[in-house]
Amino acid sequence: MNKHILIVDDEASIVELLGSYLTHAGYRVTGASSRYEAEVISGRDKPDLIITDLQLENSDGLEMISHLKSQLPDTPVILLTGVHFDSKAVHENLAKKVSCYIEKTAPLSRVLEEVRRILGT
Amino acid sequence: MRRVLAYFGVIVAVIVAVAVTSLRNINRQVAGSDWVNHTHSVILETEALQSDLLIADGASHTFVVTADPRDRASSMNALSNVSEHLALIAALTRNEPAQKAEVAHITSLVEERSDFVRQVLESRRSGNTNAMRSLLAQDAGEPALNDIHRALEKLKNDELGLLTERDTASFLQAQTTRWMVWAGVILDFALLAGAGLLIRDDIAARQSAALSLQTLNNELEAKVKERTAELSSANDRLTSENFERRWANLGLEHQLRYSQLIVNSINDLVLLLTKASNITKINTAVTRTTGWEPYELVDKPFSGFARLTFEGPTPLLNPVAQAMEDGRELRGQNAVVEDKRGRRMPVRMTLFPLRDGDKVVGCVVILMVLGPGEPGSPGLSHQS
Repeated sequence: MNKHILIVDDEASIVELLGSYLTHAGYRVTGASSRYEAEVISGRDKPDLIITDLQLENSDGLEMISHLKSQLPDTPVILLTGVHFDSKAVHENLAKKVSCYIEKTAPLSRVLEEVRRILGT
Repeated sequence: MRRVLAYFGVIVAVIVAVAVTSLRNINRQVAGSDWVNHTHSVILETEALQSDLLIADGASHTFVVTADPRDRASSMNALSNVSEHLALIAALTRNEPAQKAEVAHITSLVEERSDFVRQVLESRRSGNTNAMRSLLAQDAGEPALNDIHRALEKLKNDELGLLTERDTASFLQAQTTRWMVWAGVILDFALLAGAGLLIRDDIAARQSAALSLQTLNNELEAKVKERTAELSSANDRLTSENFERRWANLGLEHQLRYSQLIVNSINDLVLLLTKASNITKINTAVTRTTGWEPYELVDKPFSGFARLTFEGPTPLLNPVAQAMEDGRELRGQNAVVEDKRGRRMPVRMTLFPLRDGDKVVGCVVILMVLGPGEPGSPGLSHQS
């Protein structure tokens, strides 16, 4: 069965495009636009990987990641955001929470590369 | 295929030719056989004629001696048979001119002899002895009978000659038929062998063509598979490129919106100027504070929106242009902005040169509205 990836972003266009791309690459993708929706989907269909934006409409992505991590401690998370972080700061502050940090300006092939690396597919 | 058909056509033609020739020869043989029977009939009739004539002649002589009516009847009966034999011989030879002439001659001789016998019989029966003696005296040595006998022998010999001739012709025809049949059979077998070779070659050629076709099909199939794989690969590449392009656009839109959000979140008036000091962009605080819409300010000179004020004498060079020329910041410069309703408000201006590499391409101007009595206020705030 295909690996399940949960994409969390309040921008529908991002969820749709990234979802289509990963589906084309052979994954089963579910999209969520909020923390609440992400938690409902995770409870119903445990994802193998979560890709989330940092800034969500009603929540902070990092806060959501912390919460999901308490529920799904083994599920890897990719932080995908337009906010530019200092790589050193990411390494020091986010390494425990996320498996990988990718800027939205990075090409999709880079996202897919990281997905494959993390899922071992 | 056409050559094979031509071969079979020739075979059929040979078979038909052999059959026609054989039938014709068989018909000729049948006709020849009829002719043999006919000739035998002529000979038999000739011999019978000869015999009956002798009987009639002998019986007439006996009657002359015995005067027994039975001898006379016997002679008359034999004469009657002679007439029948003559008629038969004439009928059998009517289509052969040579024999017909001979038979006419024989008929003449025989009728003459028959008349003589009848005269002898009549003279004896009537008792005319003198006449009878005279007739018998004329017939001394029986020359007439000898003539008839020679004529009949000649006819028989002629018929036997014809018989031999027809036997020879019949034998030759049988031989010809035999040779025709054998030659036809051998020719047909040879043609069949040739047709067999042609069919074998044709089958081999067809098998070879089928093999070539199969090879070509396989090659074509391989090329189609290769081409399909290439197209599939190209399609995947195009799909990926399409995804990447749309993703890049989304990223740019996101970045632009985020930058706009940052600029718009500043409550001070922010303006972007070209190096010629024309306004290219403003933040929402400008419209909120002055009422001027972007389309009313963009591409207009900055000096028309904000007038710099100086505590001392006005410098000869415009400080904004000078700062951009020098590529340095300008801080704490007082100025006055007039809003859309004509109210004038004092502001403190800060200018940051906008660098693109090592070139200054414009500047960012931040105008902080000063409250009444705030240091730096020229005391002109909010005049109507």
